[in-house]
Amino acid sequence: MTARKPLLDALVAMLTPRDVLVSCLGANARYLPHMAVPCPVFALCDSMGAAIPLGLGMALQRPDRHVVALEGDGSLLMSPNVLATVAAAAPPNLTMLLWVNGRYESSGGQALPAVTVDWAALARAAGLRHVARVGDVAGLREAFAATRMAGSPAVIVVDIAFDPAEAIPPYSERPDEIRARFRL
Amino acid sequence: MTGTEQIVAGLEAAQVSIVASVPDTWIGRLMEGVRRSLRLRAVDVAREEEAVAVACGANLAGGRGAVLIQNAGLLNCGGVLAGLVELYHLPCFFIVSLRGDHRDPVYYHAPKGRVTEETLRAWRLPYARADRRGDLAAQVKQGVEFCVEARGPFVLLISGEDLA
Repeated sequence: MTARKPLLDALVAMLTPRDVLVSCLGANARYLPHMAVPCPVFALCDSMGAAIPLGLGMALQRPDRHVVALEGDGSLLMSPNVLATVAAAAPPNLTMLLWVNGRYESSGGQALPAVTVDWAALARAAGLRHVARVGDVAGLREAFAATRMAGSPAVIVVDIAFDPAEAIPPYSERPDEIRARFRL
Repeated sequence: MTGTEQIVAGLEAAQVSIVASVPDTWIGRLMEGVRRSLRLRAVDVAREEEAVAVACGANLAGGRGAVLIQNAGLLNCGGVLAGLVELYHLPCFFIVSLRGDHRDPVYYHAPKGRVTEETLRAWRLPYARADRRGDLAAQVKQGVEFCVEARGPFVLLISGEDLA
């Protein structure tokens, strides 16, 4: 299984200034300030489960921009209902990347409830038609490129390795700074 | 104008673009008016916390979002209010049906009615009860504009009587 950072690097390399990136709390939000992201970024440091509905609001408000929302499996397990909400609203300019490692990584790596959730099947069952599951950089590149032509909201389930020794940087931006910098 | 029409007119006058909602009987009636508007986009969400985030996303993207939910749903929203709306200082306008007060004939709403305003005060959320004798559209517009100016939330509590 691939580590998170090479996958996040590959995603950021595919973004353009016309994209918008929304990140859930945790490792992704903590890495992003240290990366050369070419588009506006709104990163959460709390509020599990808010990344996708935030992205939905942005996508509906700005149909001319492609919104990419990053969410973790722990967060989505709290609020899987949002998949149905997105399917109903059906914005063609929203792509959701679900980072799956089976852990509440930001709170110390505790395991999620001991069950294997088939996230791709869950997304399809909620009414989302464009769903892919990837586990490496090549797969992510191919799947993400396809979302730009999907014509419907898209889900990419990204299986990542959990590494308790991963040197994730601490939060380096305050919410007011994130909000002030975020301009579409 | 009916109360529903006044509230919708207030949302339009305040340049609200997206209305995210989970309905109850009263909010459902109000949302029928929202759906008739050519200037408001209704977004049906499955859970009230989503409505808050959708409205905040619309605001961050240059629009104005509003949340229409029941007080039971507002009580669900403590986490997202603290971790998103308050933490990032985001405008977020709520219209909340105040179920369970003396005007509500349905007995099982009473426990929510007893704690709603105390909870709002404990959460330090600015709020007002809609005044049907006054201009509802102006009250709505004022609430939305308060959110924008204060970069924070505002809750307008309504009753079923306000919609007639």
